[in-house]
Amino acid sequence: MASSDATGSRLCVTTELVRAKTMTPISEIKEPLWEVIDLVKRYPGVLANDHVSLKLFEGSIHGLLGENGCGKSTLIKMLSGVQPPDAGRIRCGGEDVQLHSPTDARGKGIATVFQEFSIVPSLTVAENIFLGRLPTGRFGGVDWAAMNREARAVLAEMEVDLAPAEITGNLSVAEQQLVEIAKALASDARMIILDEPTAALGLSEIDHLHKLLRRMREKGCAILYVSHRLDEVERIVDEVTILRGGQVVRASGETEISVDNIIAAMIGEDVGEHYPKTNNSREEVVLEARGLTTAKGVSDASFSVQAGEVLGLGGVLGSGRTEIALGLFGADPLLSGEVKIHGKSVKIRNPMDAIRAGMALVSENRKFDGLFPNFAAGGNITTAGLSSITRAGFLDLATEDKATADYIRELEISPQADSKTINLLSGGNQQKVILARWLFSNADILIFDEPTQGIDVGAKLAVYRLINELTAQGKSIILISSDHDELLAMSDRIATVQHGTVTGITKASELSHVDLVKASSDQKTHKLQETAA
Amino acid sequence: MKRIFDAQLLGPAIALIVIATLVALTTDRFLNPGNLSNLSLQVSIVALIAIGSTIVIITAGIDLSAGSMVALLTMILAEMLKFMGLPLPVAILLVLGCGLALGLTNGVLTAYLRIPSFITTLAGLIAFRGLALLFNNGSPIFSLDPNLEPLFYGSLLGIPLPFYYLVFFYGLAAVVMNYSKLGREIYAIGGNPSAAALSGINVRRVQTYAFAIAGFMTAIGAVLMSARLNSGSPNYGQTLELQAIAAAVVGGASLAGGRGNVLATLIGSLTIVVVQNALNLNAVPTSVQNIVLGMIILAAVGVDMWRNELSSKIGALFSLSHTRQRGA
Repeated sequence: MASSDATGSRLCVTTELVRAKTMTPISEIKEPLWEVIDLVKRYPGVLANDHVSLKLFEGSIHGLLGENGCGKSTLIKMLSGVQPPDAGRIRCGGEDVQLHSPTDARGKGIATVFQEFSIVPSLTVAENIFLGRLPTGRFGGVDWAAMNREARAVLAEMEVDLAPAEITGNLSVAEQQLVEIAKALASDARMIILDEPTAALGLSEIDHLHKLLRRMREKGCAILYVSHRLDEVERIVDEVTILRGGQVVRASGETEISVDNIIAAMIGEDVGEHYPKTNNSREEVVLEARGLTTAKGVSDASFSVQAGEVLGLGGVLGSGRTEIALGLFGADPLLSGEVKIHGKSVKIRNPMDAIRAGMALVSENRKFDGLFPNFAAGGNITTAGLSSITRAGFLDLATEDKATADYIRELEISPQADSKTINLLSGGNQQKVILARWLFSNADILIFDEPTQGIDVGAKLAVYRLINELTAQGKSIILISSDHDELLAMSDRIATVQHGTVTGITKASELSHVDLVKASSDQKTHKLQETAA
Repeated sequence: MKRIFDAQLLGPAIALIVIATLVALTTDRFLNPGNLSNLSLQVSIVALIAIGSTIVIITAGIDLSAGSMVALLTMILAEMLKFMGLPLPVAILLVLGCGLALGLTNGVLTAYLRIPSFITTLAGLIAFRGLALLFNNGSPIFSLDPNLEPLFYGSLLGIPLPFYYLVFFYGLAAVVMNYSKLGREIYAIGGNPSAAALSGINVRRVQTYAFAIAGFMTAIGAVLMSARLNSGSPNYGQTLELQAIAAAVVGGASLAGGRGNVLATLIGSLTIVVVQNALNLNAVPTSVQNIVLGMIILAAVGVDMWRNELSSKIGALFSLSHTRQRGA
């Protein structure tokens, strides 16, 4: 913390300049707080960071962008002390430093909020915030009162309404994310690294997070911000650095901060259309769900899906979209309600029934309930269709190999997927393998729950094209997405979901982004008033 | 064949060859035909039981009950042969059935009643030995059937019979695990049970099958144990479950599930038995033998855990000559 002599007024000036989104690099104005120079990191067979340089300033939010596998995570790991660089320098306040471990980095004022949470679910909010440096009393015991007091202060400063004594595991994902950030704040970090902080958040939570980040910027923090959601990047960051193939392709100040420019730099070519939607919806109803109710928060949800249609489920985080999908797919048992497919009533007690009925579910969290980390692409692709390649109990492995090779080619999956276990592939490749699983199972009704979450622009486009291809074949898709632009552009109709039930179904073309946000939030306040009364 | 003899076999195989070579160089009697044949007898019971332990471990479960189950099953076999006068083939089939049933019980308790397998089979470890003591007032039963012993000591074409059992059961297990739908499902539920359920795999049924297989293989081990000693005893098979688990772990099976190779378990069993044999031939006391066994398990798992780092270090040495590849 060598250069902490910055006065408040000076910071104010800087942030004003930054806010103006001037094309002049800030580097000409002041000294960076942290600087990396020519960092190189090599993994076996891969040059993950190839002479990457970056300057991070106090009072500035710096976006670090690039497709999956471009080297962002590697850079973050080196800055957090998780891995040492092979070559290059890391400087703090103008002096060379070595970050030997995450503890070392934290001691030097770097706090990192990783994509995978480091929250201990069984501990309280306050315990998590002060984990590893619990305040101790006179006899070396933990000073619980002081800890809760300080935690309350930190949370109040963030304007977050969370009780310090609450067990963290009982909180929503969004709230847990806030605890993670509170942890970073409480450590008095001068630099905060956020790796995909909004991947699990809904719109209002993102707004809240952004407000918080702006306040931290006012206080003089340097913030390194990694996200795939470019629309929000556009709104929040002051400068961007774009990586491609382990190299910096646009340093700070070299690109205008707009979605189109960023995408062009990230993938190295112009993407004319972000959402190549084709309309294939036909008048024939394929699936009809009536009065679906589960123990996990779905109550009396009814909707229908037509052949070749994409039915979007819109709603805020926690509105019950995912739960409706799980109920329909038999993963959460239905307490009541009826599912008809092609007019015939179908009993769905578990995913086996759903798959037999021609359904597929690409779940929200790949790592948690999608991937088999012990299999390469082949094993991952055929799991939902094993019966189709089984003869007298034994697998027809030649067919499996051929199908795998075909999908790797058609979906442009990394050829390494054939031999490497899937946990070693990038998020985009993993997602494509899971999509291939349901293509192989030959489902007609596919539920896509956040299919583009945490994957890069190129892979997103591949998903959209696949949706078009499937609907052109007359297959139906139920799309759940927190990315409202995506939901509006790719859906034919949108069902608004509130409190586990469908409150209205509208043509997507008649809805705007604002309508969608309003529809969910209006109903939310309405519902709240109801319960208050 | 590529699928069966995959890279997972390489590490354990190299370790076995190195150890066996060292032993052969330092211990005169190791390569005696008599000793080698004794070796295959020694390894057979543990190795056969370890097939089941490995399969259960691949489902991310564990079977601690095998040793006690052996004791119980030898007593059941002895009771049937000595006191009920059942013909040998019938008694053996019934014992195999009992093993299957006990394994099924472990499986149902674990999969359907959701008691963690560590607890289910720990209860089995304690209770099965208690059950064994209910027979013949807890005393061993000797001299069972003249045709029983040859099942263990007999030979065909000069090769001891247990060798054939090993070839048969390991061959079968390798084929099932690598080529059958059940084998694939076992690996899948061990790799990610939630994903397996959402892919339409009947997770509970597959788990139950894995324990049933383990029970059956334990029964095979129990019959051979009875044949070897021509008796049944509530004291047989102590720590056998741990030796079987050790064999699987030395063979590279991950207790986290989803990873493991049955043939590697055979190599793991051989490694352990070769070391024990070498220590025996050199008259090393049991205390030291146990310490050495503990070290082997630690070393095997350690090498496995550090393998990635080791290989990346080795890889880094060669990477200068690599062309620059992009993407992480």
